[in-house]
Amino acid sequence: MRAERIAIPLGKALAVAAILLWSLFPIAFIALSSLKPGQEIFAVPPKYVFTPTLSHYVELWRGWRGFFAGLLNSVIVTAGATLLAVAASTCAGYVYARHGGRLLNASVAGLIVVRLIPPIVVTLPLFPIVNALRLNDTHAVLIILYAAFFVSLGTVLMRTFIQQIPRELDEAAAIDGASRLTTLWRIIVPLALPGVLAVSVFVIVYSWNEFLFAFIFTATRAKTAPLVMSEMIGSIDGVDWGILFAAATVQLAPVLLFVLFMNRYLVAGLTAGSTKG
Amino acid sequence: MRALPLLAPVHVLILGVIVLPAFYVVWLSLNASSFGRAPVFVGLQNYIQVLTDPAFRAALLNTVLLVVLAVHAEMAIGLGMALLFASGLPFRRFLLVTVLAPYAVSEVTAVVMWRFLFDPDAGPVTLALRALHLPTLDWSFTPSHALTLIGLLTIWLHLPFTFIIIYAARLAIPGELHEAARVDGASRWQIFRRVTLPLLAPAILIALLFRYIFAFRLFSEAWLLTGGGPARSTEVVAIYLYQEAFTFNAFGPAAATAWIMVAVSLLLAAGYVYLLRRQVAADAR
Repeated sequence: MRAERIAIPLGKALAVAAILLWSLFPIAFIALSSLKPGQEIFAVPPKYVFTPTLSHYVELWRGWRGFFAGLLNSVIVTAGATLLAVAASTCAGYVYARHGGRLLNASVAGLIVVRLIPPIVVTLPLFPIVNALRLNDTHAVLIILYAAFFVSLGTVLMRTFIQQIPRELDEAAAIDGASRLTTLWRIIVPLALPGVLAVSVFVIVYSWNEFLFAFIFTATRAKTAPLVMSEMIGSIDGVDWGILFAAATVQLAPVLLFVLFMNRYLVAGLTAGSTKG
Repeated sequence: MRALPLLAPVHVLILGVIVLPAFYVVWLSLNASSFGRAPVFVGLQNYIQVLTDPAFRAALLNTVLLVVLAVHAEMAIGLGMALLFASGLPFRRFLLVTVLAPYAVSEVTAVVMWRFLFDPDAGPVTLALRALHLPTLDWSFTPSHALTLIGLLTIWLHLPFTFIIIYAARLAIPGELHEAARVDGASRWQIFRRVTLPLLAPAILIALLFRYIFAFRLFSEAWLLTGGGPARSTEVVAIYLYQEAFTFNAFGPAAATAWIMVAVSLLLAAGYVYLLRRQVAADAR
């Protein structure tokens, strides 16, 4: 009994330390290393105390201006995809929450299944179509693709969140002469804000980080930050890891802060999105 | 029917970008075609070609190994962490947020991180393993080591999802059940085996199926780490598809591969939807 009283807290402390190490060490290590001067990145054993310098960031700015153009493209694509996906999902989720019927219920299952089709499958038929429409290497193609792959989850999530809002509010608004759109915008959206935020978190993280579609459908003008980074990985020889660490830190920092800040909505979205249907 | 305009954007996007292209892939898979050549109907020829191609079989084996090993390891870790969190921890919210952090990391950034952590000369993990006289990963030369690294990377990126699903399910179990079991004199192991695990089983199955489906389409981690090499030895099914389509311009076999991927995903998805429905029905009772 006495041994247990010491062993259990000790075991827990070790487990917590392992979890912290596993989750944070890779992130902390590259963020710290991006500030290491010159060759200290390759010091054996690794140095954890050093004079921080922004020299790798300066080199990144001088040598890889394309990375910053990529960041701008990422911002545009992420904003566009998020607006489109959230607006479309909220409208459809509202209808699904308020109307029943066999057809609608069956199409919810359809929405769940569609979400499970691998994205790489549609690149094959879409590639010639996108070329024919002259949409290749544009922000629009990425915005449409990213939104399309998240409106199914978005709709199911919004349906779940809107179902919790009492119908009487809609009816009261209708009696006061509000149109369906006015009700949606003035009553439903403010009350379903946690749902809107949960959907936004998913779309923002996905659009900001996505690689496959950007790799296949963009070439120069609409290249997003992850794609530029993949080219940096390919072209960098041993010495330039510092620049890559700086780029990785810049790409990661905003989305990491966003996820940590929005963790409540992410947790709500993850649980509702995979266990409700 | 007045609701139709509100439903239209979602369904137009899904039909136009996902459903119709997925069906078009079926037609493509039954034809021989490439750039600038009219398609010729060849029946199931492409499927036979793909299924007898040693490169496809190797890619399929790699994918199945990755899915089975990585997803189950991830579930074991996620389950252990969920139980640890539920047993009461100080700074729980802070720790929870910490565990979520890798969710924000892109595949590209994760590859940068893990490539350097396991760098054969200067990687901190390699150096630590060497200092402990443990075997290191020679991932740029040995295919099995490369696949191990891809597996680790994938677990790292997706553990937040698995953990959250299991932890939420664990929190939903009423405390009285554990209380009652303890009063009846059940040991810790018996409580876990007879109370916790059966109640978590639906969530575990749902999370597993979900992760099978997503691990089966794995592309970026493997592509960015090894490009499928050396000598196509670390290809997964999605990389095989990409190579057939965009490197060899063999649209027929690529489409057949794509439809095989869809079929496997839909099969897993059917199980997933079935479990969801049963779960919803059980909740309603």
